Amino acid sequence: MDLISLYPTWYEPTVGSGWVVALIATFHVLASHTSVGAALLFAYLSHKAYREDREDLLDFIKKYGLFLLVFTYVAGSITGPGIWYSTTVASPNGIGALIHSFVWKWATEWVFFVIEVVGVYMIVYLVGKVDKRTHMKISVIFGLASWATMLIIVGILSFMMLPGKEQWFADGGYLNGFYGTNTFIQLGMRTAFMFTITAVVGGIVIAGIKDPAFKKEMARKLGWLGIISTIVGALMFQWYLTAVPEQALLVMENRLPDYFMPSIVAVLAGTLAYFIITMIRPQTLVQGFAGAMAVIILVAGLWPEETARESMRKPWVAGQYVYSNQVIGRDVPGMDIKSQLPLLEKVGILKAHPFTPEHLREVNEGNKIQAGEFIAMTYCSNCHSPSETGIRPLHRYFPEGVSQERVAKYVKGVLTTGNIAYMPKMPMTDSEVDALAAYLVLNNNGGQAAVTAAIDSEIAQRDRALAEKNASDKVAALDFVQEVK
Amino acid sequence: MDASQVAQVTEMMYALRNPAGIPTFPIIFIGLGVLTFALHILFVQLMLGTSAITLYGAFRENAYWRRLGAAMLEIAKVSVSVAVVIGVAPLLFVQVIYDPHWYTSNVLSADWVIAFIVILILAYWAMYYFYFRNSKNADKTAVPSSRWSMLISLALMLVVGFIMHSLTSQILHPELWKEWYMQNGKLDYSGDQLHAFNIWRYAFFISMSIPVTGAMLVTYRRFKSVREDADHDYLNWAAEVGKKWIKVGSVIATVLYVMWMVTLPETAGNFATSIWGILGGVAVIGYALWAQLRLRGEARFCSYMALPMALVIGLVVAISREILRYDILNGFFHYDFFDYKIVMDWYSTGLFFLTFAIVGGVVLSYFLTIAWKSGQTVGVYTPGAGVNKLGTLSIWIVVLWIIQFFVVGFYVWAQ
Repeated sequence: MDLISLYPTWYEPTVGSGWVVALIATFHVLASHTSVGAALLFAYLSHKAYREDREDLLDFIKKYGLFLLVFTYVAGSITGPGIWYSTTVASPNGIGALIHSFVWKWATEWVFFVIEVVGVYMIVYLVGKVDKRTHMKISVIFGLASWATMLIIVGILSFMMLPGKEQWFADGGYLNGFYGTNTFIQLGMRTAFMFTITAVVGGIVIAGIKDPAFKKEMARKLGWLGIISTIVGALMFQWYLTAVPEQALLVMENRLPDYFMPSIVAVLAGTLAYFIITMIRPQTLVQGFAGAMAVIILVAGLWPEETARESMRKPWVAGQYVYSNQVIGRDVPGMDIKSQLPLLEKVGILKAHPFTPEHLREVNEGNKIQAGEFIAMTYCSNCHSPSETGIRPLHRYFPEGVSQERVAKYVKGVLTTGNIAYMPKMPMTDSEVDALAAYLVLNNNGGQAAVTAAIDSEIAQRDRALAEKNASDKVAALDFVQEVK
Repeated sequence: MDASQVAQVTEMMYALRNPAGIPTFPIIFIGLGVLTFALHILFVQLMLGTSAITLYGAFRENAYWRRLGAAMLEIAKVSVSVAVVIGVAPLLFVQVIYDPHWYTSNVLSADWVIAFIVILILAYWAMYYFYFRNSKNADKTAVPSSRWSMLISLALMLVVGFIMHSLTSQILHPELWKEWYMQNGKLDYSGDQLHAFNIWRYAFFISMSIPVTGAMLVTYRRFKSVREDADHDYLNWAAEVGKKWIKVGSVIATVLYVMWMVTLPETAGNFATSIWGILGGVAVIGYALWAQLRLRGEARFCSYMALPMALVIGLVVAISREILRYDILNGFFHYDFFDYKIVMDWYSTGLFFLTFAIVGGVVLSYFLTIAWKSGQTVGVYTPGAGVNKLGTLSIWIVVLWIIQFFVVGFYVWAQ
C-alpha cells in the first residue's frame, strides 16, 4: 500500500480547530510575555533594593510575583504544553515537524523552565526570609533564565514562518533551521513587546500601592518602560516585515481582515496614552482601569498579531514544507524528506490516507458524500470550516445554488493544480474531484443537515445491500447443504 | 487478529512516522522519557496526596490534622507547578519516538485533550482560591473556609489524571484506531470520546500517592525537627502517620498493580509474568518492607531517604511501563522505535546535555540549598561565603549560556 503520514481529522464545528489553537496561543503569549518581562523587571528591582536597602521594592516584587504566580505562571505553564496539545489535535504534522527538528531545543528550554518555576516560588516566598543580597542573586538568575526560554522559543517560532537559512533545505542541520534574520528581529520585537505587557499588567499591582510617593515612583518606572518598549516594538515590527517571505506580505495585504492594521495602530496609540496618563496622574491608576487595559491589549493587540502570524504562513504551517492541511508539499533533501504530492497525484488522497475506511477507498454512487466529506475534512477543514460558523467557512466561497459541475471544474482546475496563491496543491483523482464537488454543493446549499441526511441514506443503503447479500449467501449455503444431502 | 491484519497495522504506524527523523539515537529519548516520567509521576502523586491531606484536615475536628492540612497545602501548590513543568519532558519525548501513536490517540479524543488544559487550570485556581481564603488566618487549627474549593480541586485533578491515563492507554491499541474513528458506521471527526482505559492501571498510579505522601510526611518531620521553634509532638505524630501510609499504601498499590497485570490486553503476551512485569510489583511491595525495616524510631538518616526511595520505586515502575509498551507495540505489532530514522545533530544534542548538567545542575543546587537552609532557619537566612560563591557562579553560567546563544547564532547567520 502507498500511505503517507496523515492522521485522523478533528473537526470542531463552532469555532474551528484553528481558532482553538489561536485562543490558547494568545492567552499563553500574554501569560508568558508578562512572566519573562516581569522576571527581568524583578531582577532590576531586587538589585536596586539591595543597593539602596529598600523594603518597599521587595514588597512590590512579592505582590507582583504572587499575582503572576496565580494568573500567569499557573495558566502560562499549563497553556504552554496546552499549545502542544491543541496543535497536536489540530495540526499533528505541523507540530511533529517542529518537534522532530527542535526536540533538543525544547528540552534545553525545559531546563530553564524548571529553573524558572523553582525561581518564581523563591522570589515570592523568600522575601524577608533571606538577606537582600541573596534575593538579588536569585532574581538575576530568574530573570536571565526566563529570557533564555524566550531566546529558544523564538527560533522555533521563526522556523514556522521560514527556516533560518535557505541552506537548510539543501543541507539540513538544526543551526541552519534555527538562526536567521527573522529569528533575531522577531526576538527584538518580542522582547520589546514583552516589556510593554509587563508594564501594563504591572499597573494592576501598582494600583494597589497605598503610599502615594511609592505609587508615583513605580508608575513612572513602569510608564517609561512601557513607552520605550512600545515605540521600540513598533519599529521592530516594521523591520520584521522586511524579513518575512514575499508570499507572507501578499497574504497580509489581501487576506487579513480590514480591522487588522487600524486595530494594531489603535492599540499602540492607546497603550502610549495610557502610560503617559498614569505617569502624570498615578492616582488614576486603579485596578479596574489597569485590568481593563490588560484585556484590551489581549483582545485588540495580541489576538490580531497572533492570528496574522498564523495567516501569513499560508499555505504552509511549518518550515515552508508542511502544508496547512498536513501534507508535505516540498522536497527537503537536507533532511531526506520527500514531497508527498507525487504519490497523491498517482493514487489520490483516499488511497494514500492511512485512516480511510475500507468502504471509502473507491468512490462510487453509494459513498460519494461520505468520501467527499472525508476529503474536505482532510484537505480543507484546517483552514475552512465546513460549518456555518468557525474559521473561514467553506460556504462563503461558493455562491448560493452553485452547480456541482462548476464546483468540480474549480476543484480540478484550481485546487488539484495548486493554481491559487495561498492554498496548498491538493491532488485528487477524477472520482475524488466528483465526490468533493458533490459534498461541497450539498453543504453549500443544504448545510450540515443535508449532508447528514445524505450520509445516513448512503449508510442505510449500504447496510441494506449487505443484509441482502448475507441473506442470499445463506440461501445459497442452504441450497448447497440440501444438494449434498 | 491474523497476520495480514497485524501487517496492515504495522504499515499504518510506520507510514505515520515523521519523515524528518530524530536528531540522535532513539534509546536516549526513551531513557530520558522514562526518567522524567518517574519524576513527573512522583510530583503528581505528591500533589494528589498532599491535597487529600489538606482536604481531610479541613474536615477533621483535630488540631494536628488541621495544621498538617495547612502545611501540606504549601507542598501541594508547589507540587502542581513542578508536576506540570516536569511533565513537559516526557510529553516531549513520547511524541518524538511514539509520534504515530501519541498524535492518533490525541486527535481521536481531541475534545478531551483541550478539556485537559481547561480542567487543570481550574483545578489549580480552585486550590489557590482555598489558599487565599485561609492563608491570612494565623490560627491553622481553625475551621478553614471554602472547603468546597479544595474538594473541587482534588476532583478535577483526578479527572485530568484519568484523561491522561486514557490517552496513554489508547496508544496501546493501534488495532482499534480505525474503529474508533468510525462510530455507528459513520466517520466521527468530533474527538468527543475517550476510547480506552484500564481502571486498575489508573487506580494503581493514583494509589501510589499514599506511600509517596507518607514519605513526604516522614521527610517533613525530619526537616522541620531541626528548627528552634519545632513542635516535636506534632511532628512525630505526622511522621507516624507517614510511616503507616507508606506501609499500608504500598500494600494497596501492590494489589492494584497485580490487578493491572491480570487485566493486560492479549497483545501484551506474557508480560505480566516476565521479569519486568514482576519486578514492578516487587518494587512497590518492597517499599513497605523498607519502611518497616528502616523507618523505625527516629530514623534520622533514612527519613531523608524516604522520598528518594519512592523515586527509585517509581523509576522501576516507569521502566516496567515502558517495556510493556514496547512489548505490545513491537512484540505484537512489530513497530520498533529502535529503527527510527536518525538525522544526527551533534550540536543540539550536546547543547542540551551540557545545559542540563551544568546550567541545571549548578543553578538548581544553589536554589535548593537556599530553599533548604531558609526553611530550617527561624528569621532571616544569610548564606555563608561558599553558598554566595555558588550564587555568583550560577549567574555567570547563565550569562555564558546566553552569550554562546548569540555568538553561535550570529556566526551561523553571517555565514
